[in-house]
Amino acid sequence: MILVSVCLGLGLVLGVPLALAYLYGPRWSRPFLVVYDRIFRGFPALVLLFLFYFGIGSFPGVHLSPLMTVFLALGLRSAAYQSQIYRGSLLTVTKGQTDAARSLGMSTRQTIWSIIIPQAAYFSLPGLSNEYSILLKDTALAFAVGVMELLTEGKFIALRTQAILPIYLTVGAIYLVLTYGGVLVFWAMERAIRIPGLSGQSRGRME
Amino acid sequence: MSLILEFYPHLLAGLAVTLELIVCAVPLGLLIGIVIAVSRAYGGSLLSPLAYIYQLVFRGTPLLLQLFIIYYGLPRLGIVFNPLTAAIIGFGLCSGAYHSEYLRGALMSIPLGQMEAARALGMGKIQTISSIMLPQMIRRAIPGCSNEITYLIKYSSLAYLVTVIDLTGQGRLIAYATFRFFDAFLIVGLIYLGLVTIANHLLQSLERRVRIPS
Repeated sequence: MILVSVCLGLGLVLGVPLALAYLYGPRWSRPFLVVYDRIFRGFPALVLLFLFYFGIGSFPGVHLSPLMTVFLALGLRSAAYQSQIYRGSLLTVTKGQTDAARSLGMSTRQTIWSIIIPQAAYFSLPGLSNEYSILLKDTALAFAVGVMELLTEGKFIALRTQAILPIYLTVGAIYLVLTYGGVLVFWAMERAIRIPGLSGQSRGRME
Repeated sequence: MSLILEFYPHLLAGLAVTLELIVCAVPLGLLIGIVIAVSRAYGGSLLSPLAYIYQLVFRGTPLLLQLFIIYYGLPRLGIVFNPLTAAIIGFGLCSGAYHSEYLRGALMSIPLGQMEAARALGMGKIQTISSIMLPQMIRRAIPGCSNEITYLIKYSSLAYLVTVIDLTGQGRLIAYATFRFFDAFLIVGLIYLGLVTIANHLLQSLERRVRIPS
């Protein structure tokens, strides 16, 4: 659970600036953003984990603990996916609103902060709820670099007790509860910050 | 670069295994997806809840756990697979659950009147589903299913964790043989990126080709 929160948090903290930079940033930043996006969305999560753990971890002077590796690799990956979610939801706020805000004398920064982001935040919740359930299941990959998360613990218990099937089924049940529990929380959030009259409001679909 | 020249037979061997995984798992997943989607929509009070539970379980648990259950757990019940088969079955079952949601969404978007019209023309229920609903459903689900297929290409790397020496596995062997970990995994990652890009283009052209005018 700590893994999920940290990675989701890191993704949020980096994903929003990434999306803003992509839409409103200077032209020179575009190629860097595209390369970042291709690498973190095009590489398999497992290869990213290995790249960070064995690759970057083997550079002189760099020491990455397994836990740090997972935070970095999955967090940066989630940031790439989340930036796409935010980019999409920033774009749903119609151009006319930007023009209106600008004509009322608001600066670009003010427009982004007080007009676009509050609305886009609402639109990105369904996507974010998807990202949560994907990320939760991907944290099981932390197993590959030896972090003691749920699946790794399950595997150790399974090996010790030789009751392989029951242990794995129990682990599966825990994941099920976490996935759907989390998604319910996102639904509740969505209902709580719903803006009456804003079009395109619908319940997020489970991914 | 020298790493590629030196180890390209290994990379090719790994790529072949990865492609085998993908080529077998994608049709299996689609087939399962269609069966689950149709059973959920038309399965009645028996099949429909079963299909729902299937989706719930396979979309709610990590793929890696499913692979572990198939590869390490099932042999306890006397069901033994070799690693490659276990991986293909696991990928097929899991991606089938995701495909089925896209397919069901597509099915729901077909106007109900078409079903009634076909039945009024004297077609049987199964005939209506297979010759009226399915062709439209599959076309409409292509964008979603393409997404799932690109996910599957990337997740095929998990096969390495049930001891299949696929592209990721070969990458790791090369990394350990040369101690050039960063380069090895970067090359492997770029190959996956290439695969995903090619698959996307193919699927997009497929989508254009089978589009029904209007």
